Formats: sequence, structure tokens, C-alpha cells
Amino acid sequence: MDRNQLEEYKLLVDGQLPWPQTKNLMSSYKDRDRFFKILAIYQDKVQWQEKILLPIGENLFIVQKGKENIVKCTCGYEFGDYRQNWKLQAVMVVRKTREDLERIYPHSDVCDPSWMEIREFICPDCGTLLEVEACSPGYPITFDFCPDLEGFYKEWLKVPLGSE
Amino acid sequence: MTKTDTMVNLRKRLEESESLLAMTGCYDGITNLECREQDPLKFETIHMKLRASCVSAREIARRISASPGVREVGEMVAALYTPEGDAIAISNGIMVHVHTMSRFIKWMIKNDYQDDPGINPGDIFANNDAFIGTVQVPDVMDVVPIYHEGTLVGWAGAVCHELEAGGITPGGDVALAQERFGEGLFVCAEKIGLNDKIRRDYIIRCERNLRMPIYWILDEQAKVAACFNMRDRVLELIDEIGIDFYQKISKEFIEEGRRTQLARVRQLTIPGKYRANTFYGHVTKGKPGFQPLGDPDWLYSIPLQMDIQLDGKIVLDFEGAQPWGYHSMNCTPAGMDGGMFVTLTQHMNFEGLVNDGAWLATQLKLPEGTWTNPDSEFCATATSWALLLPAYGAFQRMLSRGFLARGFLEEVFVGQVNSPMIEMGGISQYGKPFGIAHFECAAAGSGALAIKDGLDTAYVGWNPESDMGNIEIWELDMPMVYLGRSILPNSGGAGKYRGGNAFMSTWVINKSPEVRIVTSEHSSRVFDNAGMCGGYPAPTCQMHRVVRNSNISQRADARKPLVHSTGLDQNELTMNLEGDHQIIEGPHITAPMKAGDIFTHSYNGGGGYGDPLERDPILVLDDIIQGQSSRVHGENIHGVRFKGSIEDTTLEIDLPGTMAARKQLKDERLQKAIPVSDWFENERGKVIEGSFAPEVVKMYRAAMNLSDDFSDEFRTFWQLSDSFAFSEPKQGEDKHG
Repeated sequence: MDRNQLEEYKLLVDGQLPWPQTKNLMSSYKDRDRFFKILAIYQDKVQWQEKILLPIGENLFIVQKGKENIVKCTCGYEFGDYRQNWKLQAVMVVRKTREDLERIYPHSDVCDPSWMEIREFICPDCGTLLEVEACSPGYPITFDFCPDLEGFYKEWLKVPLGSE
Repeated sequence: MTKTDTMVNLRKRLEESESLLAMTGCYDGITNLECREQDPLKFETIHMKLRASCVSAREIARRISASPGVREVGEMVAALYTPEGDAIAISNGIMVHVHTMSRFIKWMIKNDYQDDPGINPGDIFANNDAFIGTVQVPDVMDVVPIYHEGTLVGWAGAVCHELEAGGITPGGDVALAQERFGEGLFVCAEKIGLNDKIRRDYIIRCERNLRMPIYWILDEQAKVAACFNMRDRVLELIDEIGIDFYQKISKEFIEEGRRTQLARVRQLTIPGKYRANTFYGHVTKGKPGFQPLGDPDWLYSIPLQMDIQLDGKIVLDFEGAQPWGYHSMNCTPAGMDGGMFVTLTQHMNFEGLVNDGAWLATQLKLPEGTWTNPDSEFCATATSWALLLPAYGAFQRMLSRGFLARGFLEEVFVGQVNSPMIEMGGISQYGKPFGIAHFECAAAGSGALAIKDGLDTAYVGWNPESDMGNIEIWELDMPMVYLGRSILPNSGGAGKYRGGNAFMSTWVINKSPEVRIVTSEHSSRVFDNAGMCGGYPAPTCQMHRVVRNSNISQRADARKPLVHSTGLDQNELTMNLEGDHQIIEGPHITAPMKAGDIFTHSYNGGGGYGDPLERDPILVLDDIIQGQSSRVHGENIHGVRFKGSIEDTTLEIDLPGTMAARKQLKDERLQKAIPVSDWFENERGKVIEGSFAPEVVKMYRAAMNLSDDFSDEFRTFWQLSDSFAFSEPKQGEDKHG
């Protein structure tokens, strides 16, 4: 990879890329091999060895662990098979009182807790807030994304899953 | 009259074109892009010419219009179509309507307009019926056929959003309409002009059925001028390149647009199944003017599933949506198409050929009988954006999950939000009857990005040019004077990158004995947006703070400071003004106001991205200094600790204190958090008992009645029996099950 481009993408991942360069990146033609470039940057950042197959959140990745493809947090915590909703293996805080809601919405009007609650899905190991749901009490937990991992690698990237 | 085409049966041609698409998978059966292959530069140049003619026609029209909505905010779009009604090229502006106009043209063709009332050179057709092809009554569209030597070679079309529609309440988005019959003046695929001239009887009908006909009528002139201008440019181009080549290349543009969309999806996203949901809550109980057909208070869930197929096709499914209701927020399939189209133009088709080809590469599944596809054409759609915007905000988040996974972090966007509108009417400052929609709402806060904060007061999804307009222009058109426009601190959702903040306006009613103010798109009891990857939703839109019979004139006479906003603690009005103070939740539907009364109105901020404890403390400090957020916000949510004070400009970050506070907040999270399995057991009991607010139970019951898939999924998640259902409402608890 071009060294300047690598540095640019590292800054992009860290949110440090200056706006003029970011704007250029937005307006330019998209590079066809971006996926692998960004994957390499993520792989370099994490402290564990499993191969990253797909980022699915700010701190969540699908990784190859033996013969399994599992969801893993930046900190290393493992949530299990990527085809199951990782949220079910998280710990959660539910804000369902006005007092709890107003703590994160100071000076603002907030939802009626009898109509809506805030669910915070947290990594049991590092305590990072991974996803927030705003939904009515009783609403099933949403499975945000189940990628067609095999199809993506085979049909779109034209490489076997887990290679390169 | 020019000799008209009698050889081509338009209806048969349209059916043939649709059949060719079904058979070949390519638009109009075009499997090879021969013009593009022969001369790619010529291909691009000709499309650019057509697009330029649409853009310049729109600019011409904006200078004819009398409406600040069109002139200031740019609530207009112009486009060129094939004879079958498929968009070839479009201008900037409210691109929602590129495909809604396409539906309008196709509707006329399918209803044999060629025979009666006839489609002739010089004809002008108009429509604002959403079941034919638009989103809502104020979106009035005009199209003119383009003839070349007696043959129909295309259509030119333009849409303006009207600021007054003559409905049950003044303004364009008639929030109180509960059926079609209160929405205002309908023009249903009507021939409103002949021989390049709008009919006088149509103008008279407009003059006598609208509160402010000057906007509508001059917008008609503006749109027709735009259409004529585009028509002339097309005929010039045909003279240059020949009719056969024009017809061939214009269809190739659409097929190229379809292929580009598929390729873009394959380039930017990941195939798979994406899910999202959002909600909308409506509160009108006890408000004047409410009609008895529907429930006064209701809650809608808006679940979405997006499947990205291996060929690049996006299938967006609204299974589990709520039923249509006796309110103005329903949407027709045309409106749903429009929402999809305008979202795609911003997120995927920002280069290349933007036309109906992109729409052909997508599929919407809209369950019949829901608000997305009502099975009664009596239902109202006057404020369908109230549900459309949250729905397509969720679509943006699903697309963004794909961008994130593919490594295109610069394209990740937490999505658009509702931006509550003000409609008003009564007696103007000039002593005349008036009616207007205030379009400063075209500048809400945007959702955050994965790499930076969202835009403050600068984005709405429905008009990508997003502009609040100048205060002085709005003051010319309504009997209200601004006391202030202010950033609403903390109004963006918190996150590593926060959502864009919203603003609020404060007015004093001026020189008028009667102003009726009605607002819409206020989801006050639930968040109708969301965050992403650990970011929070933006707060619910601020309630209206109002002071009737205020003493502001006396304060002005005494040269005391005026009030410019409600302030951080929402108490600036109560502390500084005498009068009758009111706080109004949800839409502002009250008795008329008068000179000297104070009215405030707020817009929405965007959702946040990422864990707020990962936000750079410098950004937190900067927000406090800039008035974008409060110190307590920075302390509670971001765990930043400060030294000094904002008042004496000594505020700075206590870095060791911040690190310790953040660790403590994470520890507290983990102490407070419970395994999802524990939560499940407790919540399942509540589901079985149905121990939720009546509006929540009704929402579940309605979704389960309409959708077997939703029912199955709900029962499976909660491990309930196949026969589980929420009990029916008790008498008097529920109006329409």
C-alpha cells in the first residue's frame, strides 16, 4: 500500500484526518481495495491474534477462530458465532425512569419512559458501550446485521473466506 | 394545433417496456450500452447537457416564484422523462419527486389519457394526489409533453412544495387532516393548460380555494416556464444529434443508471441482512380541533429489514409496520419511493448518472393496509414526512453499517431526523388574510459521522440543499418578528462523535389580531431517531414554550433587555416575561394567538456515534466554550473533569481527573449492568401479562394482527406459544383496533 495513503487511512480510522483530506476522500472515486487496507489497520491495532474477517461496529469484529467465525470486541471479549445476535451475550443497562434518562439528557426534554426505554449494550469485559437501542418496553432486541460472509468473500472479493 | 402522434399507443409501449424489463432484467430490454461503448465521452457530454438544462430550468423558476419556500429554501426540482415516464436527468433540489412524477406520468398513460383528455403539444398537466404520484398535497407537480415533428419524445416536469394548500388548517402540511377531505385543494392528474397557457378557470379555482393563492399560482407559472425551457433545450439537442439517436441514448442513460447503482452497492457495502427500527409518538389528547375518527394519542413502531443481495440489489422490507390511521401521517407507495430515491441520491448516486435507473435497482416491500401502503384512498397523507423521515433515517443507518464494514468510514452517517414544521394563517401584518408554511425547518441537526460530529443546524434528508432561509425574508411573509434564533445546547445525541445540534426560534406576534399556529412532526414521547455503535439518540424535540398576553411591549418601551430564547434551563421566558405561560407537548394546536404573544419552536438534533466516554475531551471543552453543550453534559456523559470556569474564561480540562472519572464511570456501568439473560426473564413476564402502557400494547396488537412474520418473530424471541396474543382492549380503552 502507498505509504501516504496508509497514514491517511490510519488517521481516518482514528478520526484525526484533517477535514480537507477527508472531503477529498469523500469526493474522490472509491478505491476498490479499501476493504483490505482498512482491515490491515484494524488488525495492527488490536492486541489479539485472530484474523479479522469483517468489522461490524466501532469496537466489534467478526474474526476467524479455528474453524469458527465469531464476534470479538476490541478488548478481546468473545460473543460467539456471528450468525447469532451478539447483544444476547452482552450485559445491559436499561434506562426506564425519568431520572435515569435525564442523567444523559440534561437540560432537555426526554421520552416518556412508559412509551420508550433506552437499552445500553455493554461489553462484559471492558465496559465499552457497544450499541444503544431506543425502543418501547417489550420490543424484541434487534439483530442489527447478519452479513452473508461466504457470499461476500467468494462472489464480491473473489477470494476464499479467511485468505489474504 | 400541431399534428399529434397517432401511431404509437403509449399504454402498449409502456406495457412493452415493463415486459422487456421483466424478461431481460435490463431497462426497456437494453442489454448493450451501444452509444456508451461507441463514444463514452459523447455519452457523458449529452447527459451533462440534459442535466444542465434541468438545473438551469430550476434556477429560472426560482426567480419567477413568489414563495420564500421556493426562492429561499429551494423547495423545487425539475426533471426530464422518456415518453413512458422514466426519469433521464434531474436537477438538484427536492429529488424526492423525480420518481413520484414518474408515477404521475405513468398513471396518465395507464388511464388512457392519450384518448381522453388527450396528450397534445402545448398541454400542461398537474397533480398533487399522492395516490397518483406525489408525497403530500402541497407537492404540486406540472408536466408537459415534448413533441418533435408530431411524435411524443418525452416529458418535462417540475415540482414545487406549496406553502399553502387550502386545508382544514392553514399552511401546506395540513397536520389536522384526518381524511383526504380535509387536506386542501386536490388537482388529480388534471389538464390545467392548453397551447402553452394555463387555463383561466384553473387559476380561478386556485384563487378561490387557497388562503394565499399568490404562492401556488406563481409557482405554477414558474414550473411551466421551467418545463418549457427544458423542452426547448431537448428540441435543440434533437436538432443537433437526431431524433433516433436521442431516443436511443436517453434510454441507455437509464440502463446505465441501473447498472451503476448495482455496482455501487457491490463496491461500498456488504451483502447480508440488516435490521433497524425506530418509533414515532403522537400526542393530541385534549387539544382543540381534534376530530373524533382516530385515537388522540398513539405510538407507531417502524421496523425495517434491508437485504443486500449478491447482485447488488437492495430490498427494503417494511413488514411489521403499523396500520394506516385517521391522521395525516400516512404515506402512499409513491411517497415511499420518493423517500428511497432521495436517500440513494445522497448516499450512493452522488456521481455518475442519477436517474430512474437507480430506483430500478431497488425493491420496496410495502405491506398492504399499513401506513406505507394504505388500502383506503380516503386516508390523509398531508404530513407523511413525520413517519418517512424516521424510517429513512433508519435506512441510512443500515446502509452505513455496510459502509463501515467495507471500510468506507467517511461515508458512515447516523441519519436524518424529523424537523418539526410550523404552519400558520390568519390576519397578516398588512391586515390581509394569509397562510404560510415556515420552511426554516429545512436545517435540522444531522446524525453524526463515524469520523466527526454531525452538522449543526444544516441538514434535512428531504432537501439535500438544506437551508433555513434568512430571517428578514420570513418576516416579510408572516406577522411575527424574530426575537432570536439560537443553537439548542445538548440537542444532538451524545457519542464519541455527537449528532449535530438543532436550533430554536423565538418570536413575538406582530401587528395581527389573529394568528393560528399549528406545528407537525413532533414526536414528543419517544425518540424518533437513534444513535449508532454506542451513540445515543438525540433528545426528543423541545416542547413549545409560549407566553400569551406578554409584557414584551412594556419591556421594550422601558428599554429593558428582550428575551431571545428559552435558555439552557428553559426558564428565560418565565424569569423575564409576565403573562400567561404555557408549555405545550407535541404538536402546537391551540387557540389563535395575537400581537404581543410569544411563541417558541425547536427543531431536532441528530443521533450520536460511538461510546461517549471515548470522545476527545478537547471536543467536549470546545463544545462548552462554543455554547454547543453544557458543562454538566460534559461531566455526566463524557466523564470529563474541568478546572476553572466558563464565566471567567479559565475553563480547562483536568486530564488526570478525567481519566479517573472515565474509569469510574465504566466500572459503574459494569456494576449496574445485568446479563441480557436476566433481563429477558424479567421482561418476558411483563410481555405475558401485557403490563405496558395502553398505547404500547395497542402498537404490538396492531402489528401482530397485520403481520404473521412479526407475530412469529415476537413469539419466538420471547419464547411464547404459537397462540400468544395481547388481550383485546376493554370497552372505551381503544377507538380503532
